[in-house]
Amino acid sequence: MSTLGRILLVEDDPKDVELTLTALDEYNLANEVVVARDGEEALDYLFCREKFTTRSNENPAVLLLDLKLPKIDGLEVLKQIKSDEKYSMIPVVVLTSSQEEKDMVASYKLGVNAYVVKPVDFHEFVNAIKELGVFWAVINQPPPGSIRKS
Amino acid sequence: MEQWESQLSKPLTAIQGYGLAIFSVSSALGASVLLRHLHFTGVETPLFLFAAAITAWYGGVGPAAVALVISCVSFDYFFVEPLYSLVMTRADIPYFISFAAFGLLVTGFASVRRQVERDLLRSREELKREVAERTQQASLLNLTHDTIFVRDAGDVITYWNRGAQELYGWTPEEAIGKRSHDLLHTVFPETIDEINTQLRQTGRWEGELKHLKADGTEVLVSSRWSLRRDEQERPAAIMETNNDITERKRREEEIQALNEELAKRSTDLEATNKELEAFAYSISHDLRAPLRHMSGFAELLQKSAASVLNEKSQRYLGMILESARRMGLLIDDLLAFSRISRTEANKKIVNLEQVVEEALSEVRRETVGRDIEWKVGKLPAWYGDKSMLRLAFVNLISNAAKFTRTRPKAEIEVGCTNQRPDQVVIFVRDNGVGFNMKYANKLFGVFQRLHPTEAFEGTGIGLATVQRIVHRHGGKIWAEGVVDQGATFYFSLTNLKGV
Repeated sequence: MSTLGRILLVEDDPKDVELTLTALDEYNLANEVVVARDGEEALDYLFCREKFTTRSNENPAVLLLDLKLPKIDGLEVLKQIKSDEKYSMIPVVVLTSSQEEKDMVASYKLGVNAYVVKPVDFHEFVNAIKELGVFWAVINQPPPGSIRKS
Repeated sequence: MEQWESQLSKPLTAIQGYGLAIFSVSSALGASVLLRHLHFTGVETPLFLFAAAITAWYGGVGPAAVALVISCVSFDYFFVEPLYSLVMTRADIPYFISFAAFGLLVTGFASVRRQVERDLLRSREELKREVAERTQQASLLNLTHDTIFVRDAGDVITYWNRGAQELYGWTPEEAIGKRSHDLLHTVFPETIDEINTQLRQTGRWEGELKHLKADGTEVLVSSRWSLRRDEQERPAAIMETNNDITERKRREEEIQALNEELAKRSTDLEATNKELEAFAYSISHDLRAPLRHMSGFAELLQKSAASVLNEKSQRYLGMILESARRMGLLIDDLLAFSRISRTEANKKIVNLEQVVEEALSEVRRETVGRDIEWKVGKLPAWYGDKSMLRLAFVNLISNAAKFTRTRPKAEIEVGCTNQRPDQVVIFVRDNGVGFNMKYANKLFGVFQRLHPTEAFEGTGIGLATVQRIVHRHGGKIWAEGVVDQGATFYFSLTNLKGV
């Protein structure tokens, strides 16, 4: 891995967090993952509010965003990010269990960069996470201001 | 009297008039001369005046003037000294003038009187004609089915037609002379003052009234009132036209009740649909996550404990993983199935051949390496939801591909047997393992399977999905099969845009 972008994983289910981190870890992508457990925390982190006022000022290279979240749901998080001039360029990938068309349509309307349905099968899940991690954190050139370490 | 009137009504012709003048004056002269011989004197003047008056009465002004002139001349000739000469002494002149003036006066009075009489007769004729006409019109009012009655300013009934008798059961004799609101126990929709105000302002009023019939039953009428005014513009009479709307009103109320029921049901249905949607959404989200965890951690366990697990434990883990995978498929198919009912059909004209082509290319990806002979017949363009129809074809064709897997050479045919303007029947035929017709009714149920999973995989939702799609297109689905000789699935589509 030449460069690695920081990943902000927004996921309330600890089991999903563990599976995702495991999958990322298989490809050595887990080091730079920040986990937010609900929508509010994700926005606080991104906008440097509350307990994240002192976070490093580089933005994550990508947000992996679940839709069903406590406090503020994923679509609202997406809306706030995409309507904020400063953060709207950060790539957001919706990573969800929902195959529902209305979720998909709503996400794309709000300007999501990718929409991925979590596969039930673990192999497929690992593959999906790996590809996501590799593409967004390594291959994709993030917008200026994102962290990228050698 | 009649005779006299008819004679009077016909004025004499000019000749008759002047003839009458000469005749009456001659008669007066003759009578005067005769009376003089009998030594009656002084009768000539009234006789001549009488002749002039008769002429004026029957012949008019012209003949009367002539009669007067002849009378004067005759009087002068026969009765004024010197007799039998037209010479007149000075002393006679005032006498003559007063005679002529009196004659003129009588004549004038007579002709004026005559004129008045004529006018009177004429207007009486007109009145008679009008009365006859009105009587006829009034009898026409009896022909109508509408209930019509007239009441005066004090609401006392003055006219009552046959329709009124039929509706209320009161005869004209019973009704006329009574106050209408008392007779019919009228219930007004607004106060009578408000009604009267409107009636006075516009001359009309319309509304629904409740009346009581003679037999005591209640009747609802649509009522129209028209006000008639007298010469002084005072309200004189009101014509009330009523139509029995009791039955119509009852039906309207029935329809309204039905509509309300329908609205309630559709609200219920909408709520049920919403619930169903929330349910499906929750399945989509919440049921899949634990499944993913099960399969994920089982896999991780398999990996990390590979060295300590014996073969049996490995197999158990494998079965857990397989079951999780299968449940994932079931959930996906079930969601797809429920989506057919939940989503709005987006219907337009669809090229069915193109839809079948798309479905075929999707199925072909899974049948690479197999020997399958595909036959696709001509199909019409039809009105329907393209993506739903494609899903139906994908299910049917992939079913056909699946159940012909044991054949060295599979034959799959898609075509249409019957095409009418309002209906088309499409079939998908294969030479696969077929089925026993006694299970035909089980083919389209959710989770219904006729073959063990080990032989032919699948969740048992595909045909149920197809059936639901066909139903949403106003069609029917059925199948024919013979064990080991293949199956044919038929479905019809109707051309009803509303379905």
